[in-house]
Amino acid sequence: MRWRHTGFACLILALAPIAAATEEAGVSVRDAWVREAPPGVSMMAGYMVLQNKTSRPQVLVAARSPGFETVMIHRTIAKEGMTGMEHAPQVELLPKASLVFAPGGYHLMLLNPKRTLHAGDRVDITLEFRGGLVLAVAYAVRK
Amino acid sequence: MEKVSLKFSIMLTAVMLAAMLAGVWLAAAYRENGSRAILLPDQAMTLFPAPKPLAAFAFKDHENRVFDLSRLKGKWSFLFFGYTHCPDICPTTLATLARAHENIAKSSAGAKDVQFVFISVDPNRDTVGKLRQYVTYFDTGFLGVTGDNAQLGNLAAQLGAVYQLAITPGMENYPVYHTAAVFLVDPRARYHAVFAPPLDAEGISRRFEVLRELEGPKAT
Repeated sequence: MRWRHTGFACLILALAPIAAATEEAGVSVRDAWVREAPPGVSMMAGYMVLQNKTSRPQVLVAARSPGFETVMIHRTIAKEGMTGMEHAPQVELLPKASLVFAPGGYHLMLLNPKRTLHAGDRVDITLEFRGGLVLAVAYAVRK
Repeated sequence: MEKVSLKFSIMLTAVMLAAMLAGVWLAAAYRENGSRAILLPDQAMTLFPAPKPLAAFAFKDHENRVFDLSRLKGKWSFLFFGYTHCPDICPTTLATLARAHENIAKSSAGAKDVQFVFISVDPNRDTVGKLRQYVTYFDTGFLGVTGDNAQLGNLAAQLGAVYQLAITPGMENYPVYHTAAVFLVDPRARYHAVFAPPLDAEGISRRFEVLRELEGPKAT
């Protein structure tokens, strides 16, 4: 009986770091996609839904990809009757909340793809959060 | 007991008949007014009670043909200002317009009297060849046009559109700010309506089909 308890305690101790790691990686990404570019166009945009499962704010600070020369976090904004893009140096995800990167709003601006991407391809982009959390995400290229 | 039950069923039948009649009447009333109701002022489309005749302008299209005021006559034209180095709003809008075009083509009146025109406000980078590749990618029927700054400013001002090129020396990928609305010009080359973003294909095609039906004889 005593041994069984000890075993159980050991199991809990062994699982604790895993639980902590899950909490650390508590941002999930779904519906990640990149719009296929028309021929001759070297500027693309990536979209996704980010979900912060933790009870702390999470801050997206950078995005990188070996597939593009430059990746930046951008936001389409409207001002004085015009629409334009602005660089968003960081994007905060509220605790237990989702944030949508979608056409007309936040997007990853993807400049100069290393090869031509077509609908059906996949491209890897890494999302970096403050505090060291890094997520590798596969984006589906589609029309 | 049986009498009560009979009375009750007669009552029930009467109520059901009344409800059915009311339904038929409502459906008829909806058919009568529903289509017009869609054109009441809303956030998606602003319809001008007195459409404004447009004045002369001169562009080149993606086949290097002259695109001037006469090219707007005899067709309904959807106009959108943008630039090809635009990663988010322009491709999104053109994809939406391609779907709206598809919907209109499927309607009983078809899309023979409709054209979609992408107006590049960035003629430095958007050459005729570039425009051809760009617009036909979204829809083989789309037109791409551009002109010099004076001509672009001329048509933009007539439609109340604004744009600004943030050209920075040494920066190849300068951003461009532009109105993201879609302008509708009627077959008499009059500025007739404007669709405000966020745009959706069904919202555009449904409103347009009703407007075209109502304006049909007057507009041409």
